[in-house]
Amino acid sequence: MFSLLQIAVRNVLRNKRRTAITLAALLIGVSVMVSIRGLLNGLQRSLVQNVVQGQTGALQIHRAGFLKNVLSSPLGLDMPQDAAFERKLLSVKHVKAVSPRILFAGMINVADQTIFLGVQGVDPIREFQVVPLRAKTLDDKQQFASGKVADAMVVTEQLASALQGSNVPKGAPAALLAPDRDGALSGENVTLTGVMKLNMPGEKKIGMVRLDVAQRLLKMEGRATEYIVAVDNIDNIDQVAADLNVLLGKDYEVSTWEDIAAFIKQAMQRQNFILSLVASVFLILMLLGVANTMLMSVMDRTREIGTMMAVGVRRSKILGLFLMEAATIGALGGVIGGAVGSLIVLVLNRRGISVSFPGSNVPFTIQPFVTPTYLLTIVAIAGLGALLFAVYPAWRASRLRPVEALAGG
Amino acid sequence: MLRSHVLTLAAALLLLPALPVLAWADPTADELLKKYDSVMGPENFLATIQMTAHRDDGTTRTYKMTVLKKGSEKFRLSFAEPAAVRGQEMLRQGDNLWVYMPNLKRAVRLANRDSFQGGDFNNADVLRVNYQADYSAKTVADPSRADAWELELHAKTKDAAYDMVKLWLRKSDLQPVKGEYYTASGKMLRMAEFSEFKAYSGLMRPGKIQMKNMLATQRYSTMSWDAMDTHVDPPSGKFVLDDLGK
Repeated sequence: MFSLLQIAVRNVLRNKRRTAITLAALLIGVSVMVSIRGLLNGLQRSLVQNVVQGQTGALQIHRAGFLKNVLSSPLGLDMPQDAAFERKLLSVKHVKAVSPRILFAGMINVADQTIFLGVQGVDPIREFQVVPLRAKTLDDKQQFASGKVADAMVVTEQLASALQGSNVPKGAPAALLAPDRDGALSGENVTLTGVMKLNMPGEKKIGMVRLDVAQRLLKMEGRATEYIVAVDNIDNIDQVAADLNVLLGKDYEVSTWEDIAAFIKQAMQRQNFILSLVASVFLILMLLGVANTMLMSVMDRTREIGTMMAVGVRRSKILGLFLMEAATIGALGGVIGGAVGSLIVLVLNRRGISVSFPGSNVPFTIQPFVTPTYLLTIVAIAGLGALLFAVYPAWRASRLRPVEALAGG
Repeated sequence: MLRSHVLTLAAALLLLPALPVLAWADPTADELLKKYDSVMGPENFLATIQMTAHRDDGTTRTYKMTVLKKGSEKFRLSFAEPAAVRGQEMLRQGDNLWVYMPNLKRAVRLANRDSFQGGDFNNADVLRVNYQADYSAKTVADPSRADAWELELHAKTKDAAYDMVKLWLRKSDLQPVKGEYYTASGKMLRMAEFSEFKAYSGLMRPGKIQMKNMLATQRYSTMSWDAMDTHVDPPSGKFVLDDLGK
């Protein structure tokens, strides 16, 4: 067995040009697959971070039935917003921070113009402890996030331009109107301290006000419609969700970011599916190349095979020899390709790639990476695939008749 | 001269039997629309109105208000109850509509098609009753209702309360009995039933409208007129922004 491998390796090294061509095919195929996977990993990790730390938090808590009716902003499905309730939430293991929100639909009036918008009432300090990346979307030099402007409000760029052509003067007085919890029209004065960029696709006309302003406006002092939750490690969310569910009972629903931003999860699944399609095509082309060179090799070496048979080498050994040669090339190509791919990914990781989502204008950096498991898998696939695709040429070699083979086919 | 008079007389005599027929001819769409406006939005009036909104969760909320109207372009509405909206006022001048918020001490522009105090009427339903100006009308045959004329109205302006309206006026006295309100694409948004017909300072008209929300079918609102005086002549100074809150 060992001697067979030795001969196989020698044979591979003997015809340098043919080996080089086969290796090149494998190298390109494998390194491209590794690079694409690396890019996608980086993109997906950024996507998740962007959502979890910039928008939804790792988990959200609502009253049962809230998400089903979220479009009608049901203010009646509310919950306490006080220290006791928050202590209870923070007592759950792995919960790092929580912050209350009220989501509602309203109208904003600036000068003599009134526009509909979706509003989030948020705690100006704790909101950014749970979703720190969100602070980067604000252009008001932290005025809103400082919590020092009592009636501060920020609106999306899209809303600001709809309000005033291109820009709303900083500190512009405005009025926020909304039906209160009982449906009666209510209004509060606000000051537009700046604009925010959207970091997720979706509703574009959005504003953010301080929670206390929203509570006054909606006659909902001490109430909230949503709590966002940060966890110490994203891998613990299922555990935390289960614990919170037990703690809060059936009047509440606990959702993970995957439930809230289901489209992100779906997009990731779609990307993975497309990648595996592309990878399969690459793999098959690459392995067909291996099969082709093996077949050529069998043709070229007909005399040699005849000689081996004439001196008594068994057909099964010949079959084994050619399979071994293919596997050697496959493994070698896989390892080199994996190494080159990893190097590309590593360089890109160090550098970072700046991109932004369609429908959002907050650029962020993706850092590609691959897991060792993926690397091992791809090398194994290259080796075993080469073996599989060499079965036919090797079988052809083992079926040659010694006399004809010696005569040169 | 005499001859022509004789001829005229003869012609008149000949036509005489036809007169009752003329009187019984179907009213035109424009006549019906004019009748609707004269009943629902008399030239000038001062009315005391109650609106009750019935919400999805079964709760209700009642608003009491007075509405003052001058000509076809000017409305002013003041809320009296509940306490949460006391002091709020609404003003219409032509196509412009504002709500005055007493705590903000200023008026904010509103859209015609916004919900009126979270109920199922919209602002134009309450503060813009001028169907002759807003819609082009045609009569359509409704075999299911022999007792009423059906009108189909299409909005002439985007400021109209709805894109398309179907209106039924009963044949006996041309009072409105039913309305259906649609989007441009033909989706029914609301359905109104008019009832409790009575005379308000000599004007016969419906005393109550029930407006059903056809999108959220648990919801409906009623509006009823406690009083309506059509013999008022309010000064124009009541219908300016600066007067709100005073």
